[in-house]
Amino acid sequence: MHDFEFLRFVTIGQYLPTGSVVHRLDPRARLLAGFLLLAAVTAASRWTGLVMALVLLLAALVIARIPVGYALKGLLPPLPFIAFLAVLQIVFGPRGDAVPPLWTWGPASISTASLLNGALLVLRFAALILTLSWLSFCISTTEIVRALDALLAPLTKIGLPTHAFVLMVQVTLRFLPLLAQEAERIAKSQASRGAEWGTGRGGLLRRARQALPLLVPLFLSGLQRAENLALAMQARGYQGGKGRTAMSPLRFRPPDAAAVALAAALALLVIYM
Amino acid sequence: MSTLIEFDNVTYAYPFPGGGHIAALREVSLRIEEGEYVAIVGANGSGKSTLARHLNALLVPDDGRVTVAGLDTRDQAQHATIHRTVGMVFQRPEDQIVASLVEEDVAFGAENMGLPPAEIRARVAEALETVGMSAMRLRPPHQLSAGQQQRVALAGVLAMRPHCIVFDEATAMLDPAGRRAVRAMMADLHRAGLTIITITHFMEEALDAQRVVVLERGRMALDGPPETVFADATVLCTLGLDLPPAAGLARTLRQHFPALPAGLLTVPALVEALDALPHHAVAAPVAMVEPLRVITEPLIEVRNLGHTYMLGTPLAQRALEGVTLDIAEGAAHGLLGATGSGKSTLMQHLNGLLRPQEGIVRVGEYTLDDPQTDVRAVRRMVGLVFQLPEAQIFEQYVGDEIAYGPRLQGLLGDSLRERVRWAMELVGMGFNAFKDRFTFALSGGEKRKVALASILALRPEVLLLDEPTAGLDPASHRELLAHLHKLRETGITLVLSSHQMEDVAALTGHVTVLDDGRSVLDGQVTDVFTQGERLRALGLSTPVVTQVVEGLRARGWTLPPGLISPTALSEALSRYILSTD
Repeated sequence: MHDFEFLRFVTIGQYLPTGSVVHRLDPRARLLAGFLLLAAVTAASRWTGLVMALVLLLAALVIARIPVGYALKGLLPPLPFIAFLAVLQIVFGPRGDAVPPLWTWGPASISTASLLNGALLVLRFAALILTLSWLSFCISTTEIVRALDALLAPLTKIGLPTHAFVLMVQVTLRFLPLLAQEAERIAKSQASRGAEWGTGRGGLLRRARQALPLLVPLFLSGLQRAENLALAMQARGYQGGKGRTAMSPLRFRPPDAAAVALAAALALLVIYM
Repeated sequence: MSTLIEFDNVTYAYPFPGGGHIAALREVSLRIEEGEYVAIVGANGSGKSTLARHLNALLVPDDGRVTVAGLDTRDQAQHATIHRTVGMVFQRPEDQIVASLVEEDVAFGAENMGLPPAEIRARVAEALETVGMSAMRLRPPHQLSAGQQQRVALAGVLAMRPHCIVFDEATAMLDPAGRRAVRAMMADLHRAGLTIITITHFMEEALDAQRVVVLERGRMALDGPPETVFADATVLCTLGLDLPPAAGLARTLRQHFPALPAGLLTVPALVEALDALPHHAVAAPVAMVEPLRVITEPLIEVRNLGHTYMLGTPLAQRALEGVTLDIAEGAAHGLLGATGSGKSTLMQHLNGLLRPQEGIVRVGEYTLDDPQTDVRAVRRMVGLVFQLPEAQIFEQYVGDEIAYGPRLQGLLGDSLRERVRWAMELVGMGFNAFKDRFTFALSGGEKRKVALASILALRPEVLLLDEPTAGLDPASHRELLAHLHKLRETGITLVLSSHQMEDVAALTGHVTVLDDGRSVLDGQVTDVFTQGERLRALGLSTPVVTQVVEGLRARGWTLPPGLISPTALSEALSRYILSTD
């Protein structure tokens, strides 16, 4: 039985307005803190740092009043992908020279070093996904856009079209859930016409053809929606960032600065521990 | 009064891929005064939406001139002023919302105007108050019903304090309550002095306006007050339009009671005119014939069905609870309910797209709560036509699109060809005339028929239709209904959900009403529609025949129960109204 709820356990991109301390911070502070943690998790080279990062993330989830179980379920959909990468890393990864491999077969080998690398990779991905989920639970798409807009504003001085870039991000973020819903609807509709997804029979060409009933309508409706949204925005007087004001201008207060400083300190800890 | 918008000999053509142009507006001249309430109607492809987009400079004419408050729309520098003078509410609520919080979305236009924050906040609060959505200001728009989203979109326009608001088929996708709310708001805003322009396929909505403009193939066909535009049914029919439902009923009744005056357009007017005819207060009671109820095993049986979306997550949403209903073989069963009441979720349980989380669903010999049941067999037996099914067309040619399903069932060659021919003829599309046509070049109504045929080609025993007539123009609507009528005669079991009470009354025999995921009313269509008060409280409405009956009862007529078709009504009335000869 296929489950058509494509979004059920995709936790990245779901905003949960719990009204916690984290949610009340300036969006710029939340975005910066999230980016610092992401950078730290990417750069951390030792398992102690990554484990530390995971513990920190669990604490961050609790502080933001996000159900931890739900956040952890977000690790499930990409799990096969991560496992596959880990196996590649373990079997074909660089061999440690000092220690003889535990097992070899042609170019493939397993050593204690490659096992450790595989474990690091799994930890790193788990931490990355949790950080991204945490960020999207705590910051709404509008806030991301406004924070980005404010953070990138200095770059307009050197002539970069930052506002157009921010708008692109905004439209993408707004459309992703809509497109996922649409994909679900189209898949259901074609399934009731006898389509079977993922039976895996037939050659490459045939399988590509099987995707058409899903992709063509999805693509068309995406274009249609983008055009409708562009018209609606134009009708409401949107003409780029020039001369625009904000209903609630962002205000960066001392607690926001403290939060960013704390995130920076923790990021350093994750990297060098 | 001063002129707000003026069209002077406007022509506009859309560029066509591969060169050439399709003229959408031809030599249209039109003047709209400040404070007017204008309805623009016309069949699909008549140029209504193109005209609408010229009203606020979203499009500029190829030829001729459009001025808004004296400003020429071809002057780019004036666009900001024009956009804030003429606001627009679009058809699809979810496509026009920019922000992820109601309040921020309403502020979007005002922010574009560069107003100071305090002023924006005041305007947003006022606009939300006007549309009655203040309580929802911190909610994400996608959690609102379509009707509420449309009110948010309207608030976003109001916050710009425009002189004129254009509603481009803004009620097409709404349930009766949502439509009532938006219509009431249009009337209120008009009373408050705004110019209102509404583009609609619903003729009864055009009656709210002071002036109706009819377009046909890009040209102005009629322009006048509703009484004159809707005076001649034959002319309207050639323009691809219809009388408003009450006017249509009045016309039918006039054939039996020539003493009825012409030009009755609304239910109250019709009720008053009927009451003014010489009549008995009480007619001799007729012996009621109890309809024979043959108790048979129902084809579809639903017991205590419950369903929750996103089960096991903080976003879990209860969609169905304790739903119980029976559908007899060969019956036409209607599902009524406001947006979000669970109709679509229920339908998806009837063909195995969703498996019951709680309760029992049996379709023919298949019990869907049994995990061993082969859902593919259920889907073959029960065809589901989704809302706006034309959005799922993916093949280039009509014939291939319809052949997709049967081909997957293993049909080949002549038998496949015959199956496609059969399905196409059921929806009134000639096989030879249409099989090699490009799907993208079809009209909206034709696409809808292709989508219907592509399900019929699977030869389902049960056909589930989710809002089959939504968004169609009057002519395509009429035609689709006629085909569904013919389809019933083939013995197929129909399950139909609709916001169009007239369609449900005309097509179905039995109705289940859903409210907030529960089945709250169930019975013969004639019984359900007599409960007008209850239905309105559930966000629904009743067909015009029932409304007329209700009106006459309020004036002391003792009409028998169960009147729902125009014929039944005129028969019943003939026993009250004294013949004039």
